[in-house]
Amino acid sequence: MTAAALFQSALASLPEIVVITGACILLILGQLLRKGQQHFLVWASVAVVLIAALATLMLAGEVRPAYTGMFIADRFAVFFKFVFYLATILTFLLSRKYADIEGIGSSEYYVLLLFALSGMMIMASATDLLSIYVGLELMVLCTYVLTGFLRQERRSNEAALKYVILGAVSTGIFLYGVSLVYGLTGTTQLDAMAAAVTGDPLDPGLLLAVVFIVAGLVFKVGAVPFHMWLPDVYEGAPTTITAFMSVGPKAAGFAVILRVFLNPLVAASDVWIIVAVIAVVTMALGSFVALVQDNFKRLLAYSSIAHAGFAIFGVVAGGADGIASVMLYLLIYSLMTLGIFGIVIMMRNGDFSGETIEDYAGLAKSHPGLALLMLLYLFSLAGIPPTAGFFAKFYVLVALVERGFVMLAVIAVLLSAVAAYFYIRIVMVIYMREPERVFDPALTPSVRATLAFTAAGTIGIGLFPAWFLRLAQVSVFGG
Amino acid sequence: MTFPLLSLIVFLPVAGAAVLMFLRNDDAVRWTALGVTVLDLALCIAMLAGFDTTTHEMQFTERRPWVPALGITYALGIDGISALFVFLTALLGLICVLASWVAIDRKVKAFMVSLLGMQALMLGVFCALDLFLFYVFWEAMLIPMYLIIGVWGGDGRVYAAFKFFLYTLAGSLLFLIGVIVLYFNGGETFDILALTAQDLPFRVQSWLFFAFLVAFAVKVPMVPVHTWLPDAHVQAPTAGSIILAGVLLKMGAYGFLRFSLPMLPEASMYYSTLMLALSALAIVYGGLLALAQDDLKKLVAYSSISHMGFVTLGIFALNLRGLEGGILQMFNHGVTTGALFLFVGLIYERTHTRSIADYGGLMKAAPVYTAFLALFTLSSMALPGTNSFIGELLVLSGGFAANLAAGAAAVFGALLGAAYLLGMYGKVALGPASVGGRYKIRDVNAREMAAILPLAVFVLWVGLYPKPFLNVIDVSVKHLLAHVQSKGSGQ
Repeated sequence: MTAAALFQSALASLPEIVVITGACILLILGQLLRKGQQHFLVWASVAVVLIAALATLMLAGEVRPAYTGMFIADRFAVFFKFVFYLATILTFLLSRKYADIEGIGSSEYYVLLLFALSGMMIMASATDLLSIYVGLELMVLCTYVLTGFLRQERRSNEAALKYVILGAVSTGIFLYGVSLVYGLTGTTQLDAMAAAVTGDPLDPGLLLAVVFIVAGLVFKVGAVPFHMWLPDVYEGAPTTITAFMSVGPKAAGFAVILRVFLNPLVAASDVWIIVAVIAVVTMALGSFVALVQDNFKRLLAYSSIAHAGFAIFGVVAGGADGIASVMLYLLIYSLMTLGIFGIVIMMRNGDFSGETIEDYAGLAKSHPGLALLMLLYLFSLAGIPPTAGFFAKFYVLVALVERGFVMLAVIAVLLSAVAAYFYIRIVMVIYMREPERVFDPALTPSVRATLAFTAAGTIGIGLFPAWFLRLAQVSVFGG
Repeated sequence: MTFPLLSLIVFLPVAGAAVLMFLRNDDAVRWTALGVTVLDLALCIAMLAGFDTTTHEMQFTERRPWVPALGITYALGIDGISALFVFLTALLGLICVLASWVAIDRKVKAFMVSLLGMQALMLGVFCALDLFLFYVFWEAMLIPMYLIIGVWGGDGRVYAAFKFFLYTLAGSLLFLIGVIVLYFNGGETFDILALTAQDLPFRVQSWLFFAFLVAFAVKVPMVPVHTWLPDAHVQAPTAGSIILAGVLLKMGAYGFLRFSLPMLPEASMYYSTLMLALSALAIVYGGLLALAQDDLKKLVAYSSISHMGFVTLGIFALNLRGLEGGILQMFNHGVTTGALFLFVGLIYERTHTRSIADYGGLMKAAPVYTAFLALFTLSSMALPGTNSFIGELLVLSGGFAANLAAGAAAVFGALLGAAYLLGMYGKVALGPASVGGRYKIRDVNAREMAAILPLAVFVLWVGLYPKPFLNVIDVSVKHLLAHVQSKGSGQ
């Protein structure tokens, strides 16, 4: 690698370098801070992410391959990186007060989030199975630790342990698939893989490899049958981390899935049938099991499984519209999910946990504004217009029907009618019950800002989707 | 670009709702809501004054790109058919505010905001010329209606609200898939007029016909997907019932008129016998159920199923008299049944019982109330001189021309109507005094009169001189019929 190529590569990965350097500096700085000064870390972390966002924006003009084909800075990656920045910054804002209440406001918390962010960014840009693996591991190792951050709580510890063990198994499966691919094609680069296969794409060895890789990846997005870890981890982790995990790592997983699945090799191996089955089963399981949940975080965990299922329908559709629909879906899903988690996080104050749905009975009476926001997020998650959640689903359906998968579209909407039931059940609890207690939400300015931003996004994209749709369409790789 | 009158009519209630959010006093909220609905009605009358009844073309059209990448536009416009329902919606909106004046005594602001939001969305449904826009309005109505039933309803409100929401949602989601399939088969556009001009293969038309049927049949409602209606009606507050019966049920029939018939003419003709049979079933079955009710609101609710059967019968008779009768009957049913729900609400506010057995001899206690009740009851059973007579006569003559058996069933249904309505009136108003004698019942006051009188005027106006109303729809209906017959006779 020449010096010029190295420089070009470093330039292409400047945002990742910024985040990792920033995280390292904050790690040292965090040790020098005295107690009570830790709020500084929040703003410093936000600043790091903003600088990275600026760097991403400045490099967004052209496609930059880097590190001899292992990494690429293209518009597809830029789109996902902005979803990650959004998720991370909003998590920082939500964490400020919550970390104090739970007593987890040490510097490692923020540093680990930044490292997780860099892992996700590498995943979005990776074009080689090995660089995918590096990004993936960087991200999940941080989230393992963050899940167990409530050291005094058994639930949190249990969740972290489960997550580590299952996560390690899935990573192993993924790596085994990668090794098979290397053995059969002599390369791990996504583009070179397709070129190396000249014979029958349905070679049983390759098919096996693809199945292993698929299994490893769908674990990360929590799709059935690799979803078992998700409800326990979501319930046990600190709520801010649950919010982060249901948005950031999930979107990163989809970024990789889109790159890998829509690779000519995978596309040729009829893997879409497996993916379609996964989509249907995932959505069905998420929707039906969520019906009987009483714990709000668990319900949101199953709801996130159901949403992952719906997004996978977009992967099944494939093509430019299919990819763009998944991307738009993830952006919109991030906004409404962070919004609703924002409210759950804010309700956690004093001895009030806000974890069961019953805790929210009669919220509309004392806090009509908050209730209205919940109403907005919930109807958006249910996919009722004019919210953004409707447009997200609509575009996935358009992509499905465009490819002739009308039956899949029918299944998708019927299952989303099932899912609507548990969202409007929460609306019912909030609006149609009498309050049983006095609510005292921790309404700090940073939480208010998060809610305002996500609400504006949820209603704004719903009413004026044209610009965001265009953004997703031009970000589809190759275009 | 001309003055965007339709946008103003549609979004005025939204602006009004936004203003309401900042008011603190309940009375101020009520008066502001009333002012907004009066202004909206005035704008509708202004629109009708400028409406050209000699053309079937869309009028007052507005068109702006919305999501150009998918060919979605923000397009509004009305023809004769929608003009009638825009007016009906604005009229009933005003009456709903009056009907909720004292009946809603908690969370008044939230209620009025929901009511105005509902009105904007309903007006949007009738004005939309883009299928995507139509769907957004259509589906968004679930949110305020769910709250109106679920928050301000009776004891079983939560169950009723869930049932309403899920039935309608399941129906409309299949409709959504139908819309997307239509989009790809009709040249990647959501423009309703452009889609109307397409010739789709019969196979596609058939599938779409049933996808649309599910959504519209739930809304109408047609037997056997009618079971949400009695629950929703009984539990909803008076204004909710008026909206449901007056406008929401019309949207299903409007969907048939705007989408099924013009876009799927071959399938509509092919399956018209099935539709006539379902309509006849609804007429007779709804009538029989109404006959067995003791609850006043349930009786009116089941009578709605029967009356909406007449509407769909008229539409799928696919001849001029049937169609005009069906559309006129949609308007009439909105006025008459809206009034009947208003009357049930008025008496319930005074006695807190809806059981027919608790009433008797109301005539002595509240003569004005019973006199008007008589008018609307007679209108509902289509006595000559009232509005429904004209509508039902047209439907029956159209129905007999299309299918003898369906016509006969409709006549039987009309007889049933006379039986349950006269039976109800006899028990409530005549006979020995029951509740009416024991308690002192206040007769209607000026505010209530203000809600009743406009409806009474329309009952008699349409009944005695229907020409202006038929004129509004005439050209559009003739055009629609010619379109269906020329395109649908291919099979």
